[in-house]
Amino acid sequence: MLQEIGFVEIRIGKALDTFGEAGGEKKARQFDVYGYPFLARKAG
Amino acid sequence: MASEIPVDPGALREEVKSKYREVATNPHGKFHFHTGRRLAKRLEYDTSVVDAMPDSAVESFAGVANPFSLRRLERGERVVDAGSGAGFDCFIAAHQVGPDGHVVGVDMLADMLARSRAAAEQMGLRNVEFREGLIEEMPVEDGWADVVMSNGVLNLCADKRLAFQEIWRVLRPGGWLQFADIANGKPVPESALRNIDLWTA
Repeated sequence: MLQEIGFVEIRIGKALDTFGEAGGEKKARQFDVYGYPFLARKAG
Repeated sequence: MASEIPVDPGALREEVKSKYREVATNPHGKFHFHTGRRLAKRLEYDTSVVDAMPDSAVESFAGVANPFSLRRLERGERVVDAGSGAGFDCFIAAHQVGPDGHVVGVDMLADMLARSRAAAEQMGLRNVEFREGLIEEMPVEDGWADVVMSNGVLNLCADKRLAFQEIWRVLRPGGWLQFADIANGKPVPESALRNIDLWTA
């Protein structure tokens, strides 16, 4: 979707276990959910 | 074929408001996610910066990753935080852009805006302001921002394309989008995607 809108230089960083040891951990594990940083640039 | 917008945007927005109003008013309550300093440490924020912040600036933080980990903000940059919550990332941004930069936090919840404004006042920050608004319709002029950031909010927008198009509008050409969000490695069933209760559970 980011590419379709026109963003370039798209990067995704390392996964973090956002929900580990939290109440939502079980559901997060069920769907393999992690938190990620994203970086993109508006084409100049 | 599944619709690109699986739930009613207005209904989802009300559900999100209800959940995050609780985070604003009762940050030490029981949630399905971590909050506050424990979360900031888990998400690998710079502890020297976070430790220097008062509890009021940190305790309602409810992000999902670290939007500064792939790119540190530059001095003097103009930054918009789309869905700024209690302002935690705005305060980190204010530290990075310095007195010549400017940070605008946009949030739809009055309780979050009140918290973030009070914390900014407590810290004496002059380069941060908070505006009431929706991510899909931000009160920011075209091309104003060098950077738009966001943390754990875009996954709660029913119409993500509309949200990204709005971010595109407020960014200057060549500007950066740096955000943090969750992603699932296994497919979520169509029935779950259409269940609003599960979006914030």
